[in-house]
Amino acid sequence: MKKTLLNYLAVPLAAVMISSHAHAQDTVKIGVLHSLSGTMAISETSLRDVLLFAFDEINSAGGIKVGDKSYKIDPVIVDGASNWPLFAEKAKELIEEDKVAVTFGCWTSVSRKSVLPVFEKDNGLLFYPVQYEGEELSKNIFYTAEAVNQQATPAVDYLLDQGKKKFYLIGTDYVYPQTTDLILYKYLLLHGVPVENIGGGLRKDDAGKVISAGKYVPFGHTDFQQIVADIKQFAASGDACVINTINGDSNVPFFKEIVAAGLTPSDCPVVSFSLAEDELRSMPTKDMVGELGCWTYFMSLKTPENKTFLKNWDDWLATEDHPGVVKEHRAVDSPMVLSYDGVYLWKEAVEKAGTFDVDAVRKVLESGDMSFMGPGGKITVQSNHHCTKNVYIGETRANGQFKILKTFDQVSGEPFLLKGLDEKLASGK
Amino acid sequence: MKSLSIAAIGGLLLLFGPAVVAAPVTTAADDLAVRTKLAQAILGEGAEQQKIFGDLADSGSKVVSDVLLAWTHDSIYLYDAPDGSKVPVMLEDQMDADGKARAIRIIDGKFLTDGTGKELRFTDSDLNSVNTDMRLRGTIQQTLDMLALVNPDTDARQYAVTKLGNSQKESYVPILQARLAKETSPTVKKAINEAIATLQLGDSDPTLQAAAAHQLALLKSIGSLDNLNRLANDPKTSPPVVQAAKKAMAAIEEHIKWVNFYGTIFHGISLGSILLIVALGLAITFGLMGIINMAHGEMIAIGAYTSYVVQNLFGAGFAFSISLPFGIFGHQLGFGLHLPGLNAGGWFYQSYFLFAIPLSFFMAALAGLVLERAVIQFLYRRPLESLLATWGVSLVMQQMFRMVFGANNVQVNSPNWLLGHFTVNDVSFGYNRVFVIVFAIIIVIGTWLLLSKTPLGLLIRAVMQNRAMASCMGVRTGRVNMLTFAFGSGLAGLAGAFLSQIGNVGPSLGQSYIVDSFMTVVVGGVGSIIGTVYSAMGIGTADQVLQQVTGSPVTGKIVVLVCIILFLQWKPGGLFAIRSRSLD
Repeated sequence: MKKTLLNYLAVPLAAVMISSHAHAQDTVKIGVLHSLSGTMAISETSLRDVLLFAFDEINSAGGIKVGDKSYKIDPVIVDGASNWPLFAEKAKELIEEDKVAVTFGCWTSVSRKSVLPVFEKDNGLLFYPVQYEGEELSKNIFYTAEAVNQQATPAVDYLLDQGKKKFYLIGTDYVYPQTTDLILYKYLLLHGVPVENIGGGLRKDDAGKVISAGKYVPFGHTDFQQIVADIKQFAASGDACVINTINGDSNVPFFKEIVAAGLTPSDCPVVSFSLAEDELRSMPTKDMVGELGCWTYFMSLKTPENKTFLKNWDDWLATEDHPGVVKEHRAVDSPMVLSYDGVYLWKEAVEKAGTFDVDAVRKVLESGDMSFMGPGGKITVQSNHHCTKNVYIGETRANGQFKILKTFDQVSGEPFLLKGLDEKLASGK
Repeated sequence: MKSLSIAAIGGLLLLFGPAVVAAPVTTAADDLAVRTKLAQAILGEGAEQQKIFGDLADSGSKVVSDVLLAWTHDSIYLYDAPDGSKVPVMLEDQMDADGKARAIRIIDGKFLTDGTGKELRFTDSDLNSVNTDMRLRGTIQQTLDMLALVNPDTDARQYAVTKLGNSQKESYVPILQARLAKETSPTVKKAINEAIATLQLGDSDPTLQAAAAHQLALLKSIGSLDNLNRLANDPKTSPPVVQAAKKAMAAIEEHIKWVNFYGTIFHGISLGSILLIVALGLAITFGLMGIINMAHGEMIAIGAYTSYVVQNLFGAGFAFSISLPFGIFGHQLGFGLHLPGLNAGGWFYQSYFLFAIPLSFFMAALAGLVLERAVIQFLYRRPLESLLATWGVSLVMQQMFRMVFGANNVQVNSPNWLLGHFTVNDVSFGYNRVFVIVFAIIIVIGTWLLLSKTPLGLLIRAVMQNRAMASCMGVRTGRVNMLTFAFGSGLAGLAGAFLSQIGNVGPSLGQSYIVDSFMTVVVGGVGSIIGTVYSAMGIGTADQVLQQVTGSPVTGKIVVLVCIILFLQWKPGGLFAIRSRSLD
């Protein structure tokens, strides 16, 4: 009897509580700006998925607490369609019409460059999660991405430490590989590697200044016979390695040719900066065992945070009902985790600032106090809008995962490397 | 040319010649002895440790190299036993669901247990790894290199020798000389001679240095070019040595020129062969039959996907299910297929590609047959409509690939026998490239035999030359058209099977080859099979030569395309223009 009475009481009480909850329950709009169609869709859809996962996780944990109110996240998803001018239009729409508090988005550097003026003009806020070439710092963008000194230069340090003396640079012909290789060229010179030990060729301007280092192929290139023959001669002395910034599916013919030429990772390892677990799903990984990768997150990390993250992600995939999310054969990789970290860093900054106002949130983020124990380890936002985080070197395994070989703890992100390297090189001479 | 052929025979001898090496036979007792030494090395310090390493280097045991390698990777751990002693262990590769693995004791190779005999399991963060520093890692590496010198695998020995040769530590010379006396493999012998000469370049005696440089020139050692260059540019080197080094460099660079020359020709022929197998099907459907078949690329993709499916059938099986994005009367439409796999292993799995080749041909031929019956048979002599219709078909097929296989590329692992290479006089020939050349020769000969020596070929030629006349003579032209188109498509499928071994397999695979195919057929002369052969070889070789000369893959391709445009201005009919009254 007593029990029933309680039940009678509990129902209206709960109803009241829910309704009062709903009153306090406001929503905040967050923009998601990725290519969901076109050539980049294969990579960028994964980022949309992980963002939805993060939003659902936050919403089910009570949302974002600002003052005494808590806000649920209402994602506004727009499709950049791998069309760079369209990215700028969509960004404008998100900020001016939808009035989103923050936007998570972009993959290619050219899409970021295209939205940058929009975010600066309308004072929006963008979190950018994919490894990039640096040489940029906008007050309206936070880069959770790997800067060159959080991926390329640690990889080179590792290879130098392993006794490698010759470096062959090869990449796809666009801004990220060109800039990264130019930085690496100068970095290698600074570390005592002579010019003739940097392979792939140099291009100089009329004044004789090196403007491009390394060998470049167009997107979708398939014939790597000459290049691999060139690498093979370069590596004949047994102390060479290849720095690979080839993007997209040209990597498959490249690695097949490397294997066919008998260049094993013990003679001449290839370290790739654009191949993470997600890309490895469609690569012939059996032929690539032992090749190197360098990221700030690997799915094979054994930290408790990563285990929880992967378990929650799997559970979410099994239960979610968002349209267009592929459920089978999913892998998690660094850009996805950095997107996820970005959401939590922003949430904490908003809660600390007590407002969604862009200037206030930026001030909190710039203070250097905002950090988050992400799946890849602790990540802290620096005053220069980049992040301090762990960098890992891993070698590819046949199952498409990485075995972690070395960890660089808490590396701070530095966007402007070229100028410093130029100065050091000049003073050295 | 003569020298190359001699070298080629030499290379073949090297390849198939006996590479017998007395592998060190270790017994269980020896095993236990080295394991004890290893444990002492891990726990030891200073001079005592150095001495143990010296002993280990002579053991030639695989256990030693495994453990030492794990040590350099920080994967040797110390387990604090309850009695206070430290037990060196390494973790098993196989992990359970929690990421924990059993620990193997270094001292006896048995699993670590607690007092009750229960096996203990750890993650790598549960245990402290044994400390190593730069110097110790250097010593371990050196021990590993010496161990590799007696490795039964020829390639591993050769690699170890090359590495010691480039170490610039002259102390290795006696070790290498001792090894040279025992070595039986000619390739490794050459490598040892090269390594000794390279090390002697750093000697203090100028006569020995000059002799070493001379020796390297004789060996045409590409790998020592860097060392010679350093020596020649070092102000401390005595003038006669500089001269000898420069002479040796000139000789080696001359050698590299020839290596590049033959290499480029080989690359050109192999690229030409790829173009040829890709374009041969089109030479029949477009060249002979006059159908502008924009779906040719998708026929290639069918061949490639067939190889993928066959690979999976030999492995874990293949399954797909698709649901159509629309329903009828409220019912969602969809279908699926599950084919169980053979779970084959070893050589049987490696042979999947041999089954994939004929199947690719039949699947693509079947698709071609359906396409001809459903669409093309209504469009003969209406080239524009056939262009649009086949283009539409190609889009439909691409979408079908996306629905069945997914938008991402699929993994096709090459069988081992296509992965290696052999080297003749420093020019390396990949097995897959040699295979494509042989493959192209076989299908060209096969096509030629079919067209010129069989009754079907006679009918095909009759119908293609004059359809109306052939029909009057009682030839069932519809059937001949159908079979010819299916044959052309089947050839495209063969191309796809091969392309799956060197590149991507994805829904847009066909798109990347369709332009090349048309280009090859048009340059060769529409309607001429032999023209297609010449044009494929010409374009392939020109592309590779220009790439070598300009040093950039893009510039090479642009120059080739410009040349083709100019060539077609001069000879619009292509290389082998067919002059016939029957062509209107």
